[in-house]
Amino acid sequence: MGNREFKVVGKSVKKIDALSLAIGEAKYTADINLPNMLHIAFLYSPYPHAEIVEIDTKEAEKTPGVVLVLTYKDVPNTLHTTAGQGYPEPSPYDTRILDKRVRYVGDRVAIIAAETKEIAEEAKKKIKVKYRELPYNIDPEKAKESERIPPEGAYHLLPTIYEPEKNIAAGITLSVGDVEKGFSESDKVFEDRFEIHYANHAALEPHAALAFYDERGRLNIVSTTQVPFHARRITSRVLGIPVKDIRVIKPRIGGGFGGKQEVFLEQVVGLVTYKTKRPSKVVLSRKEVFISTRTRHPMITWYKAGVKKDTKEIHALRLKALMNAGAYGPHALTVMANAGSKVLPLFNKIKHLQFEGFSVYTNLPVGGAYRGYGATQGYFGFNVMLDMIAEELGIDVLEFFKKGHIKKGETSPIFEKLGEGKEGVSQIIRSCALSECIEKGSKAIKWHEKRRKKIRKGDKVRGVGAAILMQGSGIPKIDMGAAYMKMNEDGSFNLHIGATDLGTGSDTILAQIAAEEIGTSIDKIIVYSSDTDFTPFDVGAYASSTTYISGGAVLKCARKIKEEILKVAANMLNVPQDALFIEDGTVYTKDRTQRVTFSDIALYSLYSKDQHQIQSVASNIGLESPPPFMAQFAEVEVDIKTGRIDVVKFVSAVDCGQPINPALVEGQVEGATVNGIGYALWEEYVFDKKGRMLNPSFWDYKVPSIMDIPEMEVIICKTYEPTGPHGAKSVAEIGINGPVPAISNAVYDAIGVRLKKSPFTPERVLNAIKEQGLKL
Amino acid sequence: MEGLIPESLNEALDALSKERFIPVAGGTDLMVRYKRWKNLTPALPYPPLFISQLKELKGIYRENGEIIIKSATELSEIEKSPLVPSILRKAVSQMASPGIRNMGTIGGNIQNASPAGDTLPPLYVLDARVVLLSKNERRCLYIYEFIKGPGKTERLDNEIIYEVRFKIPTHTHEFYRKVGTRKANALSKLSVAALAQLNEEVLEDFRISFGAVAPTPIRRMEIEERIRGKALSKLDDHLIDEIAHAYEKHINPITDQRSDKTYRKKVTLRLLKAFLYQIRSR
Ligand SMILES: Cc1cc2nc3c(=O)[nH]c(=O)nc-3n(C[C@H](O)[C@H](O)[C@H](O)COP(=O)(O)OP(=O)(O)OC[C@H]3O[C@@H](n4cnc5c(N)ncnc54)[C@H](O)[C@@H]3O)c2cc1C
Repeated sequence: MGNREFKVVGKSVKKIDALSLAIGEAKYTADINLPNMLHIAFLYSPYPHAEIVEIDTKEAEKTPGVVLVLTYKDVPNTLHTTAGQGYPEPSPYDTRILDKRVRYVGDRVAIIAAETKEIAEEAKKKIKVKYRELPYNIDPEKAKESERIPPEGAYHLLPTIYEPEKNIAAGITLSVGDVEKGFSESDKVFEDRFEIHYANHAALEPHAALAFYDERGRLNIVSTTQVPFHARRITSRVLGIPVKDIRVIKPRIGGGFGGKQEVFLEQVVGLVTYKTKRPSKVVLSRKEVFISTRTRHPMITWYKAGVKKDTKEIHALRLKALMNAGAYGPHALTVMANAGSKVLPLFNKIKHLQFEGFSVYTNLPVGGAYRGYGATQGYFGFNVMLDMIAEELGIDVLEFFKKGHIKKGETSPIFEKLGEGKEGVSQIIRSCALSECIEKGSKAIKWHEKRRKKIRKGDKVRGVGAAILMQGSGIPKIDMGAAYMKMNEDGSFNLHIGATDLGTGSDTILAQIAAEEIGTSIDKIIVYSSDTDFTPFDVGAYASSTTYISGGAVLKCARKIKEEILKVAANMLNVPQDALFIEDGTVYTKDRTQRVTFSDIALYSLYSKDQHQIQSVASNIGLESPPPFMAQFAEVEVDIKTGRIDVVKFVSAVDCGQPINPALVEGQVEGATVNGIGYALWEEYVFDKKGRMLNPSFWDYKVPSIMDIPEMEVIICKTYEPTGPHGAKSVAEIGINGPVPAISNAVYDAIGVRLKKSPFTPERVLNAIKEQGLKL
Repeated sequence: MEGLIPESLNEALDALSKERFIPVAGGTDLMVRYKRWKNLTPALPYPPLFISQLKELKGIYRENGEIIIKSATELSEIEKSPLVPSILRKAVSQMASPGIRNMGTIGGNIQNASPAGDTLPPLYVLDARVVLLSKNERRCLYIYEFIKGPGKTERLDNEIIYEVRFKIPTHTHEFYRKVGTRKANALSKLSVAALAQLNEEVLEDFRISFGAVAPTPIRRMEIEERIRGKALSKLDDHLIDEIAHAYEKHINPITDQRSDKTYRKKVTLRLLKAFLYQIRSR
């Protein structure tokens, strides 16, 4: 199985939407304009925590062109979560479309719909609001003692720790063995604190949504969503409109990264259109994306590790995590849980383990899903700790990695104990090339030539550092994707999938999976995706699930339609089905004496005899979540005068099973890496004392520019994952987890300073140098 | 609002003498400062007077031992020109991004008078002069007289910046450092520009200017005077500390979204000392 010959899979075919995107034919949500359409603007809270005592909208309503102004008095007050997760969502129901209380600078106060965007924006300035300011808190370590943030009545659907009166949005504790005993049996105990920060997804396309009624009075919503089916469900619940009356369509998307796994615009355009019976649209500005959408959850982690000198192994490990959920709790439980569940199994031989995680409410912007999803937060401290321990033990950290990491045929108790809102699913690793990744990656970065050399030129010192990682492929036994196929008389196929292509290329790789299985070329597959009326269900694009879960559904579906094709061919040729095989869109008898083309077969089935539509449908859930693995290496140059870090080279070696489309795999890894480098060095929310973001623009919030991209190398270490479609695992998220720890470790290698608080701005580097009392 | 695209400098000056306009060169500051909703023209406070097409305002020349840069010369031209001293070229090459440098001009950077304006520290140490023209007058001011505060200059509403000019420097040592975040389109956290001339073990000239650490770039002639003419042997650690100390009270940076004041001050002084050490080691 491992060395299967592929014809379509494993080839870097062109993205099927490439041309239409390049020439501007393909439409994004903001491109769509309808006659008579209203434009929506939001009024946001200037206070971190306040009650609206009075709100006067009269002046705004009188403004020519203004059609509708909504405040908390005018909207359904259903508590819900904006987290676009499966049902029941593992996130608290603590949010309303608009509320009498505002909980962070950027919380919504009013919705204005007008004939033009400019009128709506102008009119919102005329709304007079009297606020009563409330005590606020922006420090997660003080959350439990601070003024309650979530509304009265906020609740959780799952039986989990949820204590809104203490601002606790989620909590988990679990143990394997006896960690205290483990520490006492250890020869040396390491303990440290790490802090990782707020960031924005910075997808180039801002969030947008559009609603209109079709001729049958059904509410159609077009939106920049990663989760059309969840968006339909949540919108239906919040607005009290039956699911049958709502259709959600995802057009082309300009990047999601988790930021669009959130349902907060659909209900607004839905409501405005419902109330006015006119189409309505909202397109957020960049500033609004920063202050009012979702962010990466900041986290403080405390690692404690007990090490035995004789075995040179970690004997006991405790991870405490305190996650800042912000003012509302979408993903508050699961991102925090993933800091443990995606990290701890990687070193699976540790006997005594403990994980204790809490998520707390603060009066700051709201966290959400973000590529890496907790693993990014957890892996920072984990990889820096491993680096410290290896140094203390006097061994090369790469050897330490290789010895400690989970291998094929092995398992970890964490898989079973820690899941997404409930217990996890036990699994045995069936594919793992992490040691090979470490090996090949270290050669590419020239580890042995550069490590511990502190090569210095003037004020600049070089160093190399590494990190190892795993992620998952979908949420096991929860995530489901489905596919439908039918055959046309020219031998082409319609492939309908609920899966959502966010610019990732999933429409393309799903077509590759289908074409490979059926035995035809990719141009014969016509993909239609992400439309709740016309495609089967799919949870959506998150949790690194599309290739594995939706791809699995496509594979099953293709397998079924292939059977149907062979059945008809057998009838036509009057031979048993098992005497046939398919090659390049043609069915042959094994002796190649007879053949019928796909087109012949389709025509026959539609018009000749025993007429029927050759079609198939399949659903797929992941029974396991096979992790992709990665080793990442950074070479940095640190300016000891200014504290500025330059990443000069970055290597990522990845095992994602069988790459379906190698160019897209590289694209995902490079994209995630650059995303991670920007996060490690510059991307950060700067707040004032009241939690007001001071840099809500690309002018002040710096994502890497092309000039900042180091020399990058992506190495694909192929494996074959037996549970994945054509041997594939996921690849989309993992690459963002390594840059923060790898750069921290590389800086230590260069100048001997441990960076434990991100991002590593020149200011923080100089502070760390000072705090750690180094003379350079 | 009606703008004007004059065909000659005279036409531009004539127009300015009658009515208030806002000169637009590359527009890279103006378009950002007065931006409105996307796809809309910026909300300029006065009608625009476009000047980037005026030949009289373009070009880099050498004349009687002086370099002259006309005000509407694009940053990318300055970056490339062998006539321009390397200290200014270095600074310009680290500004903005290639696209912005193709549009942005030196006149715009000067008139913008941003505390983080990157051409300013080099122009300060070059003792550059700004030549202003109005319909009936020509004025010539040193750059440090011209710049008055953030966004404030000596320019009158009826004047155009015509050119900047400075003597060709004869220094033996130069130093330029800009500390920003990423490598393109990042405004300075701080910058340092310095020139020195060493002649037979004597420090004949020393000039240094700091950007982004005070409302305007800093240059302190009285401190420079204390070093000028000193034998190199006198430039010991003690004197270097003393000089750094003298600058310390003039460097009053702020904490903003780009950096904090402690960092700015500390690194500025470090770079000053680094330059002095560099001179000392020849
Ligand atoms: C993305 C980006 C990055 C940037 N990065 C940097 C950077 O790293 N460093 C930096 O210093 N700057 C930077 N800038 C600012 C800007 O590009 C420069 O200041 C540039 O030199 C301005 O020139 P301009 O011709 O575009 O000015 P304009 O926008 O045309 O004008 C600026 C001001 O000068 C006036 N003006 C222009 N020419 C004349 C003249 N001849 N006479 C009288 N008045 C005049 C205008 O009326 C206006 O008030 C950046 C800007 C952007 C958009």
